[in-house]
Amino acid sequence: MRLPMPSLRRPRPAPTRGFSTPALLAWLAVIVAVALVPQLTRKPSLLHLWIMVFLAISQGAAWNVIGGYAGQYSVGHAAYFGMGAYTTMLLLELAQLPPWWGIGLGMLNAVLLSLVIGAITFRLRGPYFVLASIAVAEIIRLATLYWKDFTRGAEGILLSGIPPLQLSETLTVRFVGKQPFFYVALGLAVLAVSANWVVQHTKLGYYFQAIREDQDAAHSLGINLTLHKSVALAISAAFTAAAGAVFGLYVRFIDPNIVFSLPDVSVQMVLICIIGGIGTILGPVIGAVVMVLLGETLRNPKWLVQVGVLGDESPVVAFIEQRLSNAHVLVYGLLVVLVILFAPDGILGVLRGWWGRLGRRAAAAQRPETT
Amino acid sequence: MTAILQIKHVSKFFGGLAANSDVSFDVEAGSIMGLIGPNGAGKTTLFNCITGYYPPSKGEVLFKGVRMNGLQPNQVCRLGMARTWQKVRPLAKLSVVDNVMVGALARTNSLRVAREVAMEQLRVVRMDQKAGALAGGLPIGERKKLEVARVLATRPELLLLDEVMGGLNPAESEEIIQLILELKRLGLTQVVIEHDMKAIMRLSDRIVCLNSGEKLAEGTPHEVAHHKDVVAAYLGEAVDA
Repeated sequence: MRLPMPSLRRPRPAPTRGFSTPALLAWLAVIVAVALVPQLTRKPSLLHLWIMVFLAISQGAAWNVIGGYAGQYSVGHAAYFGMGAYTTMLLLELAQLPPWWGIGLGMLNAVLLSLVIGAITFRLRGPYFVLASIAVAEIIRLATLYWKDFTRGAEGILLSGIPPLQLSETLTVRFVGKQPFFYVALGLAVLAVSANWVVQHTKLGYYFQAIREDQDAAHSLGINLTLHKSVALAISAAFTAAAGAVFGLYVRFIDPNIVFSLPDVSVQMVLICIIGGIGTILGPVIGAVVMVLLGETLRNPKWLVQVGVLGDESPVVAFIEQRLSNAHVLVYGLLVVLVILFAPDGILGVLRGWWGRLGRRAAAAQRPETT
Repeated sequence: MTAILQIKHVSKFFGGLAANSDVSFDVEAGSIMGLIGPNGAGKTTLFNCITGYYPPSKGEVLFKGVRMNGLQPNQVCRLGMARTWQKVRPLAKLSVVDNVMVGALARTNSLRVAREVAMEQLRVVRMDQKAGALAGGLPIGERKKLEVARVLATRPELLLLDEVMGGLNPAESEEIIQLILELKRLGLTQVVIEHDMKAIMRLSDRIVCLNSGEKLAEGTPHEVAHHKDVVAAYLGEAVDA
């Protein structure tokens, strides 16, 4: 029970969710620190992990716009991921169009696709919307698989090479090794998370969240539902496509079952947000780290040895390889059940709870002296 | 006096059921119109037809002389007609002030301006001390007040209140009554659905009584209260002894 406590402080002003300089500086410090990683280590397995984390952050942050803020649980984002990857890769392979243009066109394609998909699926609400989003993405996957003349079907697209990017007379970026992709993926992740920040701190974010909380109420408060859901989906699709394109260029090979995958792309994006903390800026970042580390560990536990966490003969590696390597979807499932049961606001929600309790305890410890 | 809202022969059918049939009345600018009727009389359906949630099957709705048929609820809101919900719909995971800001953003793109408008409206309903609380955690009385503050923030010229006193205790109801009267003094036209007869008699300039989707009676509170059909609808036919 909360007792009415006479407070000496002034009444609390309306909470502002505005711009704070310390927070921005902290963010910049984190980004700079992360950007220094390739200077400290050359281990490809470690850099690979970072790149996968950045791509997962980009995907999670992208999904968060439509799923977390606007509350429309699309489980078909592989459509945009694959669209970005295929547009970029096909243009590069067939027309020798440099990927930095290809990524832009891939994002544009995904936005156009999102408008079409939105027009079909936004009439539906709740579980019906989820099912429709899955169906549309699966249709696109199958279409890509069977339209062999254009997409090369299940054969996939193997990249022969990426042309070097001449930034200035002295600086040329050659896309060999992991390092260039590390910075591209980092940049994309920073942009995607920044987009979340912008969404949360503008009218758009208020409208998205109103739609998430109650569509009818939002409608009656002057919000054009279809327009705002379409805008949210378009932003989301654009970043998802960029992540797909960078993924394709980095891995150098795509096929429909990889980039249009329901469990490995569509569901994964949702899980990143649910596990990290849905509808928050930091949630997808935390979720991405957890999901990628977990996924990579289950698929290829040897990275733990390569990084030096475990010894060569560790029984953990053998156990995972023998018992769990094909069970990553099962492990994800269990993780989601645990999160929904014990941390409905995700890992970030748990951390905030601890932080709040610490703060209250500190305040309680000080109170005897001050009163 | 001019009619700000004109309901002309509005009917709404759900399959074979006539939820509203041939309802007509005008609402004078600056007045309070009470809308009463037994459960299932079609009061909320009429609100839904007026505010764009359902297209009327027949007839038309004119607001400030403009035909409303076929407009979406968001367009209706921006034209200056706003409604509250019988079942309150707080944006549960947003704070109280953020809820009201969503309403205020209908008239501005600036969050700063919206926040000022929102705080002002929260003061009007005496909830400014609760600005930072989560809307989902409020008790029913405060949810109702939040709903009113939020809808006022859209700067309506005509406000449709759907049972804002339902579920409130007498003290809270009195607060809402005072608020409605205060808004009337400020020139806001209101249509009020209410089951509390004492309250509606005090508030309304005119009352329309619906029964089974049809308009049963219209007039001043005194006229309607003594209308033979209205009494019959509420209490049953007089029995000859």
